Amino acid sequence: MKVTQETQGSATLFVVDGQVDMHTSPELRGHLRGALGAEASPLVVDLTQVAFIDSSGLATLIEALQAVGKYGGKLRLFGLTPEVRKLFDLAQLSTIFDLRDSRDDACAD
Amino acid sequence: MGRAVRGQRAGGGGESTVSGGDPTPAPDRVRCTLPSHPRYLPLIRSLVAESASLVGFDTDVTHRLVLAVTEAFTNVIRHAYGQGTVKPIDLELQVEESTLRLNLVDYGRFIDPKHIASRPLDDVRPGGLGVHLIKTTMDRVEYRENDHGGTTLTMVKRLPSEKESS
Repeated sequence: MKVTQETQGSATLFVVDGQVDMHTSPELRGHLRGALGAEASPLVVDLTQVAFIDSSGLATLIEALQAVGKYGGKLRLFGLTPEVRKLFDLAQLSTIFDLRDSRDDACAD
Repeated sequence: MGRAVRGQRAGGGGESTVSGGDPTPAPDRVRCTLPSHPRYLPLIRSLVAESASLVGFDTDVTHRLVLAVTEAFTNVIRHAYGQGTVKPIDLELQVEESTLRLNLVDYGRFIDPKHIASRPLDDVRPGGLGVHLIKTTMDRVEYRENDHGGTTLTMVKRLPSEKESS
C-alpha cells in the first residue's frame, strides 16, 4: 500500500493505493495523524485505488472521523470501489461517513 | 471452471499441501501453514480468492469470503498470539458435498468468542467489526478449543447451486 499526500484548494488529500488491512493500516493512520495534528480540514481520502479494505482499515478511518470531529473539521471519502462500498454498507458506515462522488466534490470548501 | 473442479470430487480430487501436515490424501483439500505476521495477509487472500473462484462462487461472495478469512487471521494474531508474529497458523480449505469448509487453527490459547464479540453497529467506534463480518458472510461459524490448547475456527459456506453458478 502506498499513501500520497496532496493539496487541492484548502483540502488535504490522501491518495491510497493498495490493500488496507492490519499490516498496512498503521501506515495510513500515521499519514492521517500528521494532518489531524495540524487540524487540517477538509481532510479527503481517495479510495479509488483501494480494491480491498478490512475492519482494521475501517477502524483507521473511524478514528480519523472522530478526531476531525473534535476540532470541528471535515473528513470526506471518495472513489469507493463497489466492493469497498459494500463493506461500508455492511458495517452501516455509509451514512456515517461523508462519501463524495468525485475528487473535486470531495475537495470543495 | 467451478463445475470442473466440483466434478473431480467424485473421482478423488487431490490435495495441495503448501507446508507440513498429514500426508494422507484427501479430496479437494488445500492446507497451508503461515507465520502469524500480517504481511502474509495478501497471500491468504489470494489463496482464498482463487479457491473460492475454482468452486464456483461469484465475485461478490468470493470477496466476502476473502474478507472473512482476513478478519479471522487478524483475530488470531491479535487475540490468540497477542500480536506475536512468528507463531504458526494453519489454514485448511475443504470442499465437501455441498459446502466449502475453512478451518483456521492456532496454537495460542482458546479464545472464547464472547471476548471478541461484535459491537452494535450503531455504536460507531474503531474495532469490533471483525466477528460481525465473519458471521454475516458464513452459513456456520464455530469456535472450539483444539488439542494444542489453541482455537480452531470452522467457517462453512454453502456452495453455489448449479443454477447459481451457470
